[in-house]
Amino acid sequence: MIRNFRFTSFLSAAKPLTSFACSSSPARHPPQFTSSASTPLRITPPKTPLFLRTPSHAAPLSEVLKWQDWAKDLASSVKNSSTKSEDSLDSILLLRELKWLTEDSITDDITRRELGGEKSVKLRASLEELYELWRERIVNRRPFQYVVGCEHWRDMVLCVEEGVLIPRPETELIVDLVEEVVRRDDWFRRGVWADLGTGSGAIAIGVGRVLGGCGRVIATDVSPVAVAVAGNNVGRYELQGMIEIREGSWFEPLKELEGKLVGLVSNPPYIPSDDIPGLQAEVGRHEPHLALDGGVDGTDSLFHLCDGASRMLTSGGFFAFETNGDKQSKMIVDYMNSDLKNIFSDVKIVSDFAGIGRFVTGFRL
Amino acid sequence: MAVAALFHARFPLIARRTSPSSVSYYCPRTLEFSHRLQSIICFSSSDGDDIVVSEGPNYVKYSDEDLMKQCKFETFRVSGPGGQHRNKRDSAVRLKHLPTGIVAQAVEDRSQHKNRASALNRLRTLLAIKVRNKVDIEAYSPPPELLQILPPKSTIRTSSSGSQIGPNNPKFVPGMQALLDVISASDGSIADSAKLLGLSTGALSRLILSHDGLRMAVNSMRAAKGMKPLK
Repeated sequence: MIRNFRFTSFLSAAKPLTSFACSSSPARHPPQFTSSASTPLRITPPKTPLFLRTPSHAAPLSEVLKWQDWAKDLASSVKNSSTKSEDSLDSILLLRELKWLTEDSITDDITRRELGGEKSVKLRASLEELYELWRERIVNRRPFQYVVGCEHWRDMVLCVEEGVLIPRPETELIVDLVEEVVRRDDWFRRGVWADLGTGSGAIAIGVGRVLGGCGRVIATDVSPVAVAVAGNNVGRYELQGMIEIREGSWFEPLKELEGKLVGLVSNPPYIPSDDIPGLQAEVGRHEPHLALDGGVDGTDSLFHLCDGASRMLTSGGFFAFETNGDKQSKMIVDYMNSDLKNIFSDVKIVSDFAGIGRFVTGFRL
Repeated sequence: MAVAALFHARFPLIARRTSPSSVSYYCPRTLEFSHRLQSIICFSSSDGDDIVVSEGPNYVKYSDEDLMKQCKFETFRVSGPGGQHRNKRDSAVRLKHLPTGIVAQAVEDRSQHKNRASALNRLRTLLAIKVRNKVDIEAYSPPPELLQILPPKSTIRTSSSGSQIGPNNPKFVPGMQALLDVISASDGSIADSAKLLGLSTGALSRLILSHDGLRMAVNSMRAAKGMKPLK
């Protein structure tokens, strides 16, 4: 959404941005044009995920089934080819993904019309594209979520594409943590929240839905792709009135809100740099390292967030950060209890569903 | 639905987790049934078919939130750091109801959140099937949730019982539990239970056969007493 304004600042007003996916969505606060002119313009609008495309393709049923057989064979063939067990594909999971790909790309009903004496099926992508997509998934290890262009996260379906981190199931819990705090005290419902490094906008939208119309969420991201994708997702959930996406690094776009935030949440990059080359192929080869690489011990962004939280949160304000696990969470808690002594209260580690100390939460005194 | 159905029919590996019979794909009602059946076949407690006899609270009547509080919630993720390190491979969840040890799982949805909701629904059905509350047959007075699932011709139904709730309605579950309590207290006898419920033996049999989980629970109860299964 913010992109609209940026576009209009660069392009002539006579050239409407009809191709932009959510150009009709109003942004409440026009952003300041702070980025330098050297920033390359990204005119490509967010991609439309498969399930939202119009079913403008058709193919004979037998051809569709032939594709499914091929795709299934390819999925089953991976079993013996991989050597590293941690990083290998799993046929059973691939077949489940294939079922989801089918759901997303093939419309529910077979047209009754006969096509050359055979039933025809309406598709949201051409058969050629479906062959290509599945090949990319298995041969190139392209994440399934990028293949279909979306991820099911909590009760939402979020659009994702290359350049934006795919929201993880663990992170769903941050929204639950916010919900708990908001339920305990209505004060949190009416204030301004911030989600830093929002990526697809997942946490911001989850929090926005928890606040239920009274509060405001400002989500920031330094990546223009993330800003565009998050804006699109916010528009899909019709929350553009309460969630604002700002382009910029961490707290930079929030200067006027110093000491005013009632809540601060983030899933910052936290993987130690040395671990990046060994990541699962889907992650290391395809997801943006900007959203993963947290510096030498993975805590660069986390410490920056801790310092910022002391400045940005109002008294009583709540924060929740995701970390790499037990060790990092402990480092953060220690830092807050020593270097940032007497600034926060109730600083604690919260485990994810796998029992890993995944989150650090607390309150500004 | 239709293409997905064809897909399932051709992909038995996936179909196995979704439905036990290929005929059911074309009928949403039956599909719903097969989900229930699946919840019993694939997702029953690892402790086997042990029936828990409860003298405590009726867990089936708990709210989702309260029931969840009694559960240990786990994901199946392989060992490793998780989080940003992994592309989600599996959003499967596992709920263990601590007071009874009953386990419910859900794997088929794309979101962990939704799998959690399905697992909770399954847990409720499993609790209804496996937890037996004691019933005093001599002074039996059927609870309203049981009256609601009885067919209209039952003589113990009153005008306040409302229209009959069918097996696809979530409200069927507490009624089913109360029904199983009665049959259990009658030592698996359909004729004796039917008498208590103001029904003919045939009408009660039809009600039992309308829900796969209910049928299986009654039949295992009867098998334990050396009685023939209902068909």
